[in-house]
Amino acid sequence: MHDVTAELSGSVWKILVAEGATVAANEEILILESMKMEIPVVAPVAGTVALLPVAEGDSVDAGTLLARLC
Amino acid sequence: MSFTWKSALEKLSEQRKVAEALGGPDRIERQHSQGRLTVRERIARISEDFTEVGEFAGFSVRDSSGAEVGQLSSSYVCGLATIDGRQVALGGEDFTVRAGAPQTYLDRYKGGMGGFVEDLAHAYRIPLVMFMEGIGGDVSAQDEVGHSYLVSSMSWKRSLELLGEVPVLVAVLGSAAGGTAGRAVLSHFSVISSGSVMFAGGPPVVRRALGQDVDKHELGGAEMHTSVSGAIDNLVADEDEAIRQMRTVLSYLPQNVWELPPRGDRTDPVDRSCDAILEIIPENRRRPYKMRDAMAEVVDRDSFFEMGPDWGRAVITAFARIDGIPVGLIGNNPMHLAGALDAAAAEKQIRFTDLCSTFHLPIVHFVDVPGFMVGPDAERGGVVRWGMRAIQALVDAEVPIVTIHVRKAYGMAVSATSDPDDLGLRIAWPSAEWGDMPIEGGVEAGFRREVEASSDPEKFRREIEERMLAAADPWKTVEAFGMEMMIDPRETRRVVADFLNASLNAMNTKLGRREKPWTLRP
Repeated sequence: MHDVTAELSGSVWKILVAEGATVAANEEILILESMKMEIPVVAPVAGTVALLPVAEGDSVDAGTLLARLC
Repeated sequence: MSFTWKSALEKLSEQRKVAEALGGPDRIERQHSQGRLTVRERIARISEDFTEVGEFAGFSVRDSSGAEVGQLSSSYVCGLATIDGRQVALGGEDFTVRAGAPQTYLDRYKGGMGGFVEDLAHAYRIPLVMFMEGIGGDVSAQDEVGHSYLVSSMSWKRSLELLGEVPVLVAVLGSAAGGTAGRAVLSHFSVISSGSVMFAGGPPVVRRALGQDVDKHELGGAEMHTSVSGAIDNLVADEDEAIRQMRTVLSYLPQNVWELPPRGDRTDPVDRSCDAILEIIPENRRRPYKMRDAMAEVVDRDSFFEMGPDWGRAVITAFARIDGIPVGLIGNNPMHLAGALDAAAAEKQIRFTDLCSTFHLPIVHFVDVPGFMVGPDAERGGVVRWGMRAIQALVDAEVPIVTIHVRKAYGMAVSATSDPDDLGLRIAWPSAEWGDMPIEGGVEAGFRREVEASSDPEKFRREIEERMLAAADPWKTVEAFGMEMMIDPRETRRVVADFLNASLNAMNTKLGRREKPWTLRP
C-alpha cells in the first residue's frame, strides 16, 4: 500500500484516473492547482488506485491524502 | 639486549600485525556481517596509494585487576593517500576498537575531532577525506583518566579553519553520534549510506532525557538526514557508492583555495546546440517541467552531479563542467513548491553558494522562481530570514555569476539569483517572464480598494490586469537594457562558455582565502 499526499496546499484541478484503475510508476494521477501552476501528482510506484478520496475543485492542505495505491 | 637489525625488524613486523588486526577477528566479523567494511578496507578501496601515519599507536588492554592482557591498535587510522592521482589527507575511525571512540589514551589525536590528519590537510594544503563511524564521547575514557573534563577544553579551530582552506569530504558509514556527528557536518560535502545513523544523542540518551522510545533510524536515519534535516547532503545505497561520490565531488574541486579547480576534458563541442530545451520547457506556462534536464542539456555531457537532491527540493544544486571548467549550478525547481524559495531551499542554496565562492567555481543560476514561499508554514519556518540570508550569500560570493532566466522571476527571491553590484550578467530565454510580483495577486493586493469600490469589480480587476500584463512584456525590459541579453535557448552553452572562459582571467588573479570566509549570517 502506498499513500500519495499533497505536497503543498492548493485545489484539485483535474483527476486523470478513476478508482480501480491500474497505473504505472510516474503516471499522472491528478493535477493540483497551486501557486498558479498546474502541478502533476504522479504515482510513485506502479499499482491499482484503491482509493481516490478527492474530487475536482476540492481544496487540499499539504499532507492531504490524494490517492492510495495497492 | 644489544641492538641487531634482525630483531629490530622483527619487532617492526610484529607491531604491524597488531595494527592490521584492528579490534580482532570477532569485531571485524561483526562489522562485515552488518554489511560494513573496516576502516582499512575503506581506505584500500578509495585510494590507489596510502602511507600510514601513527600505524603503531595503540593501547594496552587490561583486565579488571589492572594486569595487561594484550595490545590493541588505536581507534583511528590515518595517513597520506592518493585518490585519482591527487594527494589527500585520509582518515577514519576504526569501529572495531572502542566503537571508534576518541583516542584519549594517546599523546596526540590522530583524527576525528582535530588531530594529526587535520593538521596534515592544513599544513600541506591538501583535501581532507574522512570516513566517519564512531560514538563520539566515551565514558570509559573518563574512568581511565580519573576525572571528567569540559568539552570546551577541546578546540574546533582547525576543523573550522579547514573549511576556508581545502575541500573537506566525509562519508558517514555506520553510526556517528555526538562528537563524530558534529565533526561530520563540518564538511563541504557529505554522504551517508542507507542503514547508517547519525545523531546528537542516540536512543538510550533520548530515553533518559525525554522518556521517549525511538527507533534509531527514525531518530537519525540516513533517509531522514538527507530529506528532512539536510544535515547530510547525499544518500547512497552502499559504501562503494559513497566512495564513488566522494571521488566525483573531489574532481570538481581544487587541492586548496590557492588554486583554480582542475579543468576537465573539452570533448563536448562548446557550440553544441541545446535543442532539447525547446522540448523540456512546455509552451503551457502553467505546466512545470524537469529543470534538471534543462541544466544537464547545457553543461558538458555526463558532467552533472547533484548535491543534496532530496532536501530543500525547491532548489537544485549541482556540480558540472562547461567547456571543461568546473561550475556550480543552482536551479529553481518548478516541480517542488512551484519553485518558491522556502527556508530549507534557501539554506541549501546558501551552503552551495558559499562552497562555490570558497573554491572559485563560477555559478550558473537557472531562474524560475515565483517568489519566497508564502503561507503559514513558510512564515513559521522563518522564510524571510532564510531568504535574505540567501541573498546575502550571493552578494558575498566572490565568483562570476551567470544568470539564465528560464521562466518566472518574481519578488524578493529574484535578488538571490544575481548581484547588481557585481557584473550582474542576466541572460533571458524568450520563455522568461518577470516582475515585482505576479500580476494576478499583485492587482488583488495593490488595487483592492478601487476594485471593491467599482460597480463591476470583476471587470475592473480584469482591465487593470490586462493593462499590467501588456507592460510586463519581457521584450520591453530587454529593450530598456533591464535584462542584459535575450538569446535563443539553443545557443546557451556557447554563450555561457564564452563568458566563463573570459572570467578565468579574473579568477586567476583572485585566488586564496575568501575575504569573507564561511560567515555567520544575521
